[in-house]
Amino acid sequence: MTSNPSPSNSCRFGGCTLTGALSITSHVCDAVTIVHGPKGCTHHNFSLLHATAMDSESVRIPEIFSTGLMETDIIFGGEKALDLTLDSVARLDPAAVFVLSTCITETIGDDVRMVCSIPRGFPIIPIPTAGFLGGPFQEGVNNALIALAEMAGQATTDGGVNIIGEKNLEYDVDENFIEVARMLDILGLPVNIRFVHDLDTDRISHLGAARLNILRDPALVPVGTSLLHRFGTPYIPSFPVGVSGTAAFLESVAGACGIDCRRALDEEQALQEEMFCDFADLAGCKVYLDPAMTDPGGIHVVRELAGALKLDVTPTGCRVPVPLDPPVGIAGMRRMLHRWRRAIHA
Amino acid sequence: MKQIALYGKGGIGKSTTSANLSAALSLQGLDILQIGCDPKRDSTRMLMHGNFIPTVLDLVRERGEAALSITDVVYTGFHGIRCVEAGGPEPGVGCAGRGIIATFQLLEKFGALSGDVIVYDVLGDVVCGGFAMPMREGYAQEIYLVTSGELMSLYAANNICKAIKRLSMRAKSRCRLAGVICNAKNEPREEELVTEFARRVNSALVHFIPRDRIVQIAELNRKTVIEYDPGCPQAQRYRELAARVMENTRFAIPTPLEIHDLESLAIEFM
Repeated sequence: MTSNPSPSNSCRFGGCTLTGALSITSHVCDAVTIVHGPKGCTHHNFSLLHATAMDSESVRIPEIFSTGLMETDIIFGGEKALDLTLDSVARLDPAAVFVLSTCITETIGDDVRMVCSIPRGFPIIPIPTAGFLGGPFQEGVNNALIALAEMAGQATTDGGVNIIGEKNLEYDVDENFIEVARMLDILGLPVNIRFVHDLDTDRISHLGAARLNILRDPALVPVGTSLLHRFGTPYIPSFPVGVSGTAAFLESVAGACGIDCRRALDEEQALQEEMFCDFADLAGCKVYLDPAMTDPGGIHVVRELAGALKLDVTPTGCRVPVPLDPPVGIAGMRRMLHRWRRAIHA
Repeated sequence: MKQIALYGKGGIGKSTTSANLSAALSLQGLDILQIGCDPKRDSTRMLMHGNFIPTVLDLVRERGEAALSITDVVYTGFHGIRCVEAGGPEPGVGCAGRGIIATFQLLEKFGALSGDVIVYDVLGDVVCGGFAMPMREGYAQEIYLVTSGELMSLYAANNICKAIKRLSMRAKSRCRLAGVICNAKNEPREEELVTEFARRVNSALVHFIPRDRIVQIAELNRKTVIEYDPGCPQAQRYRELAARVMENTRFAIPTPLEIHDLESLAIEFM
C-alpha cells in the first residue's frame, strides 16, 4: 500500500461488492438502504462511509439499516427478517428502498427478489451484493448504478450531460466534478444529473434526458453500455486526465455533441501554459514516481506531466506522491504538483 | 461412553436400524440416547410409539434458546431410551446444516450428550459440513454405513467413506469407519456383494439384516421389531447387531472407490 498516510492516498476501493453498491445507494438522499445480513456488514460499511463523508465535510448521515440476522435466521431462512425490516423502514416514508444482500443470505438462498416484489407503496430495488462471489468493489458500483437506472423512464432530451459513477469515496470527488463541469461549461453544455452523487430519487427520472453520459473512469463501461442500450445516450469512457488526456476529452465530448471545441481547447491550453509557468521551478529536479500505486494508464499520465515540466525522473530521485487515480483536469494536476513541490523541498 | 453414527442413502432403513439397535442395546441394560439428525424428524418415532417429538430447532424457533432446558428437548421412549430430534427449517429455506451445528451446541450446553451409548441417526448423505457434525469434534467416533446391495445405495455409502476419510485426516480426529451394515433388499448375492464392498473400502460387514415383512408390521403398530415381536428371527438379528457393535474394535480409515471400480464390483455380483 502507501507509505503516505494522507487521506487522499488511502485506498477506499478495496472493499467487496457490498461496499461498492453502498457507495452509490447511500448517495440517493431521500432513499433508504437495507443491508440484508448480520449487523456487522452494515456497521463496517457505515463506518467507512461516515469517515469518508467527514473528510468531505459532509454531515449527512446515510440511512442504512441492517436486517440484523442471527443464527436462527440463518437456519430457518432470513426472508422474514427482511420483511420486518421493510415494515419498519416504511414508517420513514422513504422515496425508495434499496435491498443489498450479503454473503450469508446468498449462501442460504434467501429469495430477496421475491420479498422485494411484494408491493408496499414505494419502489423496492434489490441489488445482489454478496462479496464471496468474487465481485470486487467496482462490480457493486456498476450493479447499483444499473439497478438505479431501472427507476428512470424515457425522457425527452434537454441538451444536458450526465456525470456517471463519480467515486463518492474519493477524497477529491467534488473538486473533480467542479473541474469537469467547468470544461463542459466552456463547451456550452450544462450538467443534467450527477448519477449518483447527492441525488434525490425524483431526479433519477431525468437520467434519460441527457445527450451524453460522461463516465468517471473506464471501469464503468458496462454502465455506459447499459444506458446506451436503454436510452440511446452515447458515453465518454473517462474524466479528463493529464495534459493530452484533457484535450482528447474536450475533442471527444465536442465530437459526440456535434459542437466546435476550438475555443475550449485554446482556453485549456492557456491554463496549462499558466500551470507550467507556475511550476517552472521544478524543472531539472530529480524525482521518483512510485509505480505501485496506480494503473499503467495512470502512470503514463503522470510521466507525461513530469516530462512537460522537464523533471528528471530517476529511481534515485526524490519520491513524490502519485495519487491512486490519475489527476483530473488542470485542478487535479495542480494539486498533485503542489504535493510534489512540498516533497521536493521537504 | 460409546458414540456411534449411522449414515446411508435416504430410505435405506437407517432410522429403522437405529431404533432397533437402540432398543436392543437398551435391553442389554445400557443407558441409550438416540439423536435424529435429519429435518424429516422421524428417527425416534418408533421408540416414541408413533409420536413425533418436538424438535430442538422447532423449540428454538418457537420459544427462543434462552427459554429452553434439557427437559424440553429430551424425551423418554421405549425402555427408558432418551430421544432427541434435531429438526430443521421448513423444506426449501434456510440452512439445515447450520441447524445441526446449532443443535449440537445446545445439547452440549445442556450436558445432554451422556449415557452408555449415543446413537446418531443422520440423513441420507453428508451434503455439507453441518451434516458431518456428528463425525466432527469428537462426537461419533464409530461410523456405520447402512446400505443394501443396490448400486445407488453403495454409491452413497462410498461417498460417505470420502467424508470419513477427509475428516479422519484432521489432527485430533477420532472419527473412524466402524463397519458396514447390510439392510438387504433380498437381491441375489447381496450379502457377498456388500461384504466385498466393505472389504474394498478397508472395512467389514458387521451384520446382514434380511428384508422381512415384520419390520413393516411392527411400524404399522408404531413399535420397533424388538418391542413388537421380541421372539421373531428379525429381532434376533437386531440383538446380534447390537452385540457386534458393542464388541467391535475394528475402526479404520476408509479407502473410497472410484466410480468405475464400484460399477465393475456391482457387475461382478450381478
